[in-house]
Amino acid sequence: MKSGLAISINLMDCFASACGGMVSQWYSSTMNAKYAIETIGLTKKYPTRRDDSGGLYGRHSSTDSFVAIFDVLRNRKRSYIEALRGIDLQIRKGEIFGLLGPNGAGKTTLIKILCTLVIHDEGEAYVNGFDVKKEPGNVVKHLQAVLPESRGFNWRLTGKQNLQFYSLLYGIPEKAARERVNYLLELTGLKDRANDGYQQYSTGMQRKLLLCRALLRNTPVLLFDEPTAGLDPTAAAEFRSLVRDKLARQEGTTVMLSTHNLNEAQDICDRIAILDRGKIIACDTPGKIQYAVHDEKVFSIAFADGRFDEERGRQMLNALEAIQGVHGATPDVDTARNLRGLSLRVDKDTDLSDILSVIMKNDLKISSINTTEPSLEEAFMAITRRRGE
Amino acid sequence: MEIPIQLKQIAAFTKRDFFSWTTYKTAMTTQLINILIGVFSWGVAASYVQKPVAEMYNSDYVSFLVVGIAIGNLVMPLVQGVERQLNPWTLETVLMTGISIPVFVIGNIAWNYIFSVLTFIPYLLIGTSVFGARLDVNIPSTILAFTISAAIMMSMAFISTGLRIVTKSTDPITWAINILQNLFAGVAFPVVYLDTIFFQGASNLSWFLPQTWVYHLSRLAMLTNASLTDPKVLLEFLKGGLFAIILLPIGYRVLRWGVARSKKEGTLGWY
Repeated sequence: MKSGLAISINLMDCFASACGGMVSQWYSSTMNAKYAIETIGLTKKYPTRRDDSGGLYGRHSSTDSFVAIFDVLRNRKRSYIEALRGIDLQIRKGEIFGLLGPNGAGKTTLIKILCTLVIHDEGEAYVNGFDVKKEPGNVVKHLQAVLPESRGFNWRLTGKQNLQFYSLLYGIPEKAARERVNYLLELTGLKDRANDGYQQYSTGMQRKLLLCRALLRNTPVLLFDEPTAGLDPTAAAEFRSLVRDKLARQEGTTVMLSTHNLNEAQDICDRIAILDRGKIIACDTPGKIQYAVHDEKVFSIAFADGRFDEERGRQMLNALEAIQGVHGATPDVDTARNLRGLSLRVDKDTDLSDILSVIMKNDLKISSINTTEPSLEEAFMAITRRRGE
Repeated sequence: MEIPIQLKQIAAFTKRDFFSWTTYKTAMTTQLINILIGVFSWGVAASYVQKPVAEMYNSDYVSFLVVGIAIGNLVMPLVQGVERQLNPWTLETVLMTGISIPVFVIGNIAWNYIFSVLTFIPYLLIGTSVFGARLDVNIPSTILAFTISAAIMMSMAFISTGLRIVTKSTDPITWAINILQNLFAGVAFPVVYLDTIFFQGASNLSWFLPQTWVYHLSRLAMLTNASLTDPKVLLEFLKGGLFAIILLPIGYRVLRWGVARSKKEGTLGWY
């Protein structure tokens, strides 16, 4: 770990000396920037063409170049799809930020705008204080992205040769590049296969090589679009650990990732935003988003001794429901009319000691207690469904 | 008699490819035009072989043709290099490295050009030793001709790339220029011959094609020992140079326009 950090610092030093005054300008911009990523009212529309029947057949027909070029030259009136509709985001430095949303919600568009690969129509977007529209050159120096479809590797070259090629494009001095490439191959477990042709790599290895390329320059901001799609559970867990423990916590890198894996988002993200049809419909910590729809949890108690007087049972349920924050108590009674347990719907912040003291007063022996919190998946489904209705 | 299943399967493949081909309307049209122009231009070239030569370069037909083919082999990869390399994964990823767009284009051309220069020499060696082509080379003029040719073809590559990024297919402008080259740029016969077979003054049209200058300047330098101290030769090189000076910024602007347009439409990653 230490050697990795040392290499990172060396790379920055080399780059700083190579670029002279420009770098000091960066540093001042970077230091002044309040957020690593900030978007204000970001809007993006994609042109579409309609066939005679009125059905959409894609944003652009690529099979007929004459039609395409004449459309462009004539600036023919087109219909549009709104991919993003006024996105406001502030992502702090060193934060791991997750983008969730159904397919077509605008996650990839947002990431591509931040990468300067798509130009937005309205609003503003900044990476480390640099405007993505006006200063794309500075933006790409501060950011790296791993997009699922963006390979850009030569299939006939080895993994190592491919990384060395990109090191040259990034302008990393040869010695530092060699050390960095070796370090990253080691870090991602690709060292033993570094001299194999890229075409011999499995999907997981190809993903790891993408990660290596993204880490070549040690940029302060990293964007990932569905980073663990297609990875086996072990490789996905390794990736999450690398992002959370090393990149974000240890090196202070800001990470934005889009994912369909809600457990992944819950596991590593400091905050998440749920996008739906180009709008942010929820943005908070995973813990708070969980309770955004159901502001209560279920408190389940199992009893060791089920024999219980029915009248006393009724009185106990009334006493429990009278506690502030308890919304309902459901007894679990078996066929012999024994009380096996209780399920209580309670506010997420309810003091459980009041509940326990009522039960204790009734001389019931507790064998187990469980608290079931609403899952992020339930919240996600409820939030996106609610928007659809 | 029952048709064997294998024949039916072959027919299924053929039918599938035919339907697929008909969906590429531009490609279908250009392929048909290519055939017509190809047949016509080689027909003109064949009729030229029967004529006395030396109208423009005071040389024989074999020498003229050998130099023409060698030059064609040298310059065309400049345009084709980008076309082969241009795919969405490469483009998106490479642009994100922060390199400039011209560096991306020139970088993708460089190896093709070096390889073409290496293969240029065997062309000339075989042409001179086996087919008796006679070369009368002026080294400084040849170097200048190659430089101007490279600049012209680079501009064409910029234009081609810029349009291809937008259309995601063969760009019609480069295609039109390339197809007209066979007939008007003087690959297989001197352009003045167009006056004889079409109408008086027809050859003037060819001087508006960039490739005509590429072939013309190289042939002047390699067939006629044209010296840059000769005012007539110098004027020809100045005209060719002017073509390059006008085309380069146009090409650069088209390329930047293509990338910007594609980013605006969100189609940079498409092809």
